[in-house]
Amino acid sequence: MIYRIYSLFFGVLLLLSTPIYALEVIEILGGKASEIPVAIVPFDGLENIGGQKAHQIISSDLNRTGLFRPLNTLGISNPPSSDININYTKWSAMDAQFIVVGKVESENPISGNIKITWSLIDIFKEKTVVSMRYIGKKSQYRAIAHKVSDNVYEHLTGSKGVFHTKIAYVKKVNNKKYSLNVADFDGFNSRPILNTTQPIISPRWSPDGEKIAYVSFEKKKPVIYIQNLRTGKRTLLANFKGNNSAPAWSPDSKKLAIVLTYNKNSQIYTINADGSGIKQLMRSNAINTEPSWAPNGEDIYFSSNRGGNPQIYKVNINDDEISRVTYEGKYNLSPSISYDGKLLIFLTNDQGKFKVAIQNLISNQVLKISEGPADESPIFAPNGHLVLFTYKDYGKTTKIGTVSINGLKRLPINVGSSIIQEPTWGPITN
Amino acid sequence: MKKSLLLLSLVALLGSGCSSTPLDAPGDPSAANYYGVDAATAEALGLEELRGNQLLSQRSVFFDFNKYDIKPEFQDLIGAHAQYLNNHAPARMIIKGNADYRGSHEYNLSLGQKRSVAVKEALNALGVDDSQIETISYGEEYANQECQADACGQDRRADITYEVE
Repeated sequence: MIYRIYSLFFGVLLLLSTPIYALEVIEILGGKASEIPVAIVPFDGLENIGGQKAHQIISSDLNRTGLFRPLNTLGISNPPSSDININYTKWSAMDAQFIVVGKVESENPISGNIKITWSLIDIFKEKTVVSMRYIGKKSQYRAIAHKVSDNVYEHLTGSKGVFHTKIAYVKKVNNKKYSLNVADFDGFNSRPILNTTQPIISPRWSPDGEKIAYVSFEKKKPVIYIQNLRTGKRTLLANFKGNNSAPAWSPDSKKLAIVLTYNKNSQIYTINADGSGIKQLMRSNAINTEPSWAPNGEDIYFSSNRGGNPQIYKVNINDDEISRVTYEGKYNLSPSISYDGKLLIFLTNDQGKFKVAIQNLISNQVLKISEGPADESPIFAPNGHLVLFTYKDYGKTTKIGTVSINGLKRLPINVGSSIIQEPTWGPITN
Repeated sequence: MKKSLLLLSLVALLGSGCSSTPLDAPGDPSAANYYGVDAATAEALGLEELRGNQLLSQRSVFFDFNKYDIKPEFQDLIGAHAQYLNNHAPARMIIKGNADYRGSHEYNLSLGQKRSVAVKEALNALGVDDSQIETISYGEEYANQECQADACGQDRRADITYEVE
């Protein structure tokens, strides 16, 4: 189902120049890049479709990244709907560096298809950056608006946007009711892909987008399944003696790192996605768990208490060479690596408060980007610019939210009143 | 559920002075089928002792935060279970490790496992064979997600269970 969305609507590029900015990750982390003021102008025509408005969806998308400051455009009289006759002086006075304008029209009264024509305009340079037209069904309105956000994001940052990606998470209704759910990145269009009476933890989306591996307790102990998202069919990947947990995909989606205990402590193994070729990675008397496969395919980051308290280490899968990665703080867990391999996020115990921290793997600079006190499960967006994590709402119910890697924007993802935990983020698909 | 039944029956036994046990009472099928096993199996597994012994009825070993070393006060409990296992070769123990909610689900699964292994190794040290013990972990999955401070200690434990139960 998730694969069909973009084959059903299509876009036409009307005008394009090269990206304006290429924001370096280092700049973002250092907090030097201030938020870019952008005015997303209400779209002309049939913008209100079932209460949804394109300009609000786009504003909300860009706001979440911590890189943009959407300006309030509600009071603007005679808002422009195209890049013709833009009053640059007026927008400049409003402090807008860029504006997004557009209109929504009926494309075909019989099919009910809509047409969205939009432009991104540089107010300082007084020129159009890009103009595009999308045609699709009304039911794809949000998806089309997210696609506009992706285009704006890519033109202004040089990186792909994640606004049309999917997330998955575990919903716990009560001690006997759990489900694994898939939703748009902002929580809309959620649907369960598995309902069960026992806990589910550690879902991980395959980099090719086709499958989700997860840990289920339905056999009275943790075992690992892989579920195909297209067919809904699932296969048992690991049901060895003891615990089977912590699946982590290799970048090519052909293998997984998993954690097995047999009758001892947690150790990391690699296994082919079809369940063959199991191999222990390293041996120690300490806990080794939470593997996260680096994009180079050769390093696996993991947490271990081999030095006493848990810290993040990495191991080279070819020669078993191990090196410690985190040094700041006494208790660091749950590593997740950005898709360019340059950034590490993890959970850190900061004087009793569990917070998300980010480490630049080149300079080893560390920044805490969430406030705690009971945050968990940080996972990178596929462009490495946002982090999905859990926090305790009013100190009680676990919920999911995103935090920008500069730590500036922490926003909830609303997917209902139940306990929401153990999120994962799908890849960018075309 | 089963545990509370066990405790109830223990209280009942203590109340009646432990003079007899319903397990061996012939002609009482409900008693003989208490664990769904016949009298001979109950005899081989020493179920009478398992139910009646005050130390053997203690099933939880508690730990400190992020720790899995066994505190001295649990040595008697472990000693009693070691003796029981050594005396009853067919008996099979499953140790289930747990952790409080703080920290990640996966690390807590590993921590719970370390706790169950710590209990197993203490039993090994007293001569119990590995083939009689299985260790698993539930991590924080059945823990109190809203506990505060000391109350979280209830979740940092390894539970001893027997297959027959």
